[in-house]
Amino acid sequence: MKRTLWGALALSLLLAGPVMAADGIKIGLMGPMTGSWASEGQEMKQVLDLLAKAVNDQGGLLGKPVVVVSEDDGGDPRTAALAAQRLATQGVVAVVGTYGSAVSEATQNIYNEAKIIQIANGSTAIRLSEKGLKYFFRTCPRDDEQGRVAVQAIEKMGAKKVAILHDNTTYAKGLADEAKSLLAGKAEVVFFEALTPKEQDYTAILTKLKAAAPEVVFFTGYYPEGGLLLRQKMEMNWPVPFIGGDATNNPDLVKIAGNKACAGFRFLSAPLPKDLPSEGAKSFLSQFQTQYGSQPSSIYAVLAGDGFRVLCEAIKAVGSTDPDKVAAYLHKDFKNFPGLTGAISFNEKGDRVGEVYRVYQVDAAGNFILQP
Amino acid sequence: MEQFFQQLTNGLAVGGIYALIALGYTMVYGVLKLINFAHGDLFTIGAYLGLTLLTSLSLTDRLGPFWGVVALAAMAMGLVALVGALLERVAYRPLRESPRLSAVVSALGASIFLSNAVMLIYGARFHVYPQDLLPKITLDLFGLQLPLVRVLILAASLVMMTALYLFIQKTRIGTAIRAAAIDQGAARLMGIDVDRVILLVFLIGPALGGVAGVMVGIYYGQINFTMGWTYGLKAFTAAILGGIGNIPGAMVGGLLLGVIEAMGAAYISIAWKDAIAFCILIAILIVRPTGLLGERVAEKV
Repeated sequence: MKRTLWGALALSLLLAGPVMAADGIKIGLMGPMTGSWASEGQEMKQVLDLLAKAVNDQGGLLGKPVVVVSEDDGGDPRTAALAAQRLATQGVVAVVGTYGSAVSEATQNIYNEAKIIQIANGSTAIRLSEKGLKYFFRTCPRDDEQGRVAVQAIEKMGAKKVAILHDNTTYAKGLADEAKSLLAGKAEVVFFEALTPKEQDYTAILTKLKAAAPEVVFFTGYYPEGGLLLRQKMEMNWPVPFIGGDATNNPDLVKIAGNKACAGFRFLSAPLPKDLPSEGAKSFLSQFQTQYGSQPSSIYAVLAGDGFRVLCEAIKAVGSTDPDKVAAYLHKDFKNFPGLTGAISFNEKGDRVGEVYRVYQVDAAGNFILQP
Repeated sequence: MEQFFQQLTNGLAVGGIYALIALGYTMVYGVLKLINFAHGDLFTIGAYLGLTLLTSLSLTDRLGPFWGVVALAAMAMGLVALVGALLERVAYRPLRESPRLSAVVSALGASIFLSNAVMLIYGARFHVYPQDLLPKITLDLFGLQLPLVRVLILAASLVMMTALYLFIQKTRIGTAIRAAAIDQGAARLMGIDVDRVILLVFLIGPALGGVAGVMVGIYYGQINFTMGWTYGLKAFTAAILGGIGNIPGAMVGGLLLGVIEAMGAAYISIAWKDAIAFCILIAILIVRPTGLLGERVAEKV
């Protein structure tokens, strides 16, 4: 019995340790540091570290330093739920992240119950903000907007027979459904199926796709699979044009597929870091360049940075870290904040308003070119 | 009909790679009754080492595309075999006498260790093999699109599997491996150095896994540190399908699993292809609990 007591005491001290040690204002970062989206998560961390340093150099927040506590969600809903619980017990006031919609979805209720503000940076699935969660926000746009722009682009390409391929994740399935319903009456959907992510051989799927004879293929999944699809499509000598959702927006797509297979590939995305117009964005990009020796490759890392900056601004404005006050401020009084990715305002659901998707096309040298 | 044959070749190409990896599982299981969960990660290491060798030694420039790739595969095989032997020494030999569960846990630990080691060494981003390693020719055979690389890879895996089969069946060392698989105690009494046999198994299995990694790198181009998990799982399934512990079984199981997946994707549903493959696995195990070619019946007590 005595030993159990000692054990319990030791355990509670261990758990209480980090909370008691809290000195500065802790902001959590939940991102895929490992797993197949690891390049996204690691860049998110680089961006937040850089921005936190800038805030601390100017005296911190409310007179306290900002500490970024990062946890790895592995790009996996189960790992993410554990990461969220760890962050919640470490006394963070808010969390930035994460990239994948299914991954964010697994953590939404955990943060909501712990009264922690969550600002997702890449989770665009519609239903995330339809649950009436008071502390959920996102700096990325939503898939109903993306679906609309996708269908516009497909119409512009003059395709009458469209194939839609997703990967059964919350994001990809949601976007695929959205596009399918918007395409009704405008073009015929001749193929609608899901592939299994993380495989390497998609020739069976491509062979079946080819038999359906679409004039354009809309792939709503992520860049690792997108790159392989493009490469294997070229090896099959099949010239059909592909268009991708914003999750194919990553330079690794070109690396995987090769320039030749990528040329002509279109995708939807919020503007890339290099196409960000504002002065703030330019100075941020040059700071990032000096700190890490390269430009950030992913817009989602920059959107995570915007999430962090939004939080700092809101905490400063309300003068406290009380989640109810901060959330109320973000919902109502936070308008046209000059974010790195453009003006940021939130609606009552916590969705970002105003920002629109653009269409990009990959050129022969593998560069992403903004389409007019 | 054309689609059928196209899908058949698609399935055989994937199946050949599953089969090569499955051999590693089945050989270790045959001798040690241990599922080497780290085998998939040895496959990953093979792919990464292959890339490093390729870019640092520029083998294809010196030896021409064909011999360059052969030399690359041989070097990667040798290195991964060493990693495999080291793994046996560090993670499995100390647990040889402990309950089987401990060895399985050790194997899982080794798997996590290896894949994260690859991530820390090479970084989490995707790595890509050079695109123009082998000439990009697509053969057009009666309307079938066959990339030359795929034909070569299937041929190479068949050659290696046949060589292994002959080695196990026809040579003295092969006989020793088979003897140790049947009864380690009796093999020891017959003067077979069982420790050496186990070491040998841990050299050959990982070498085949490593060369499969290089082949995946050359064919698909993209490699990442988590790929060992997916391929490992599929290859493990293939080994069970063919009868774990049985070498021809792993070959048949691998090719069959690849074809079942391709056909399932083609004629039923892409999203359900894994479910279909596993349903067929269950059905086969119900009819033949030891797998297609597995002979060993339940252990007699």
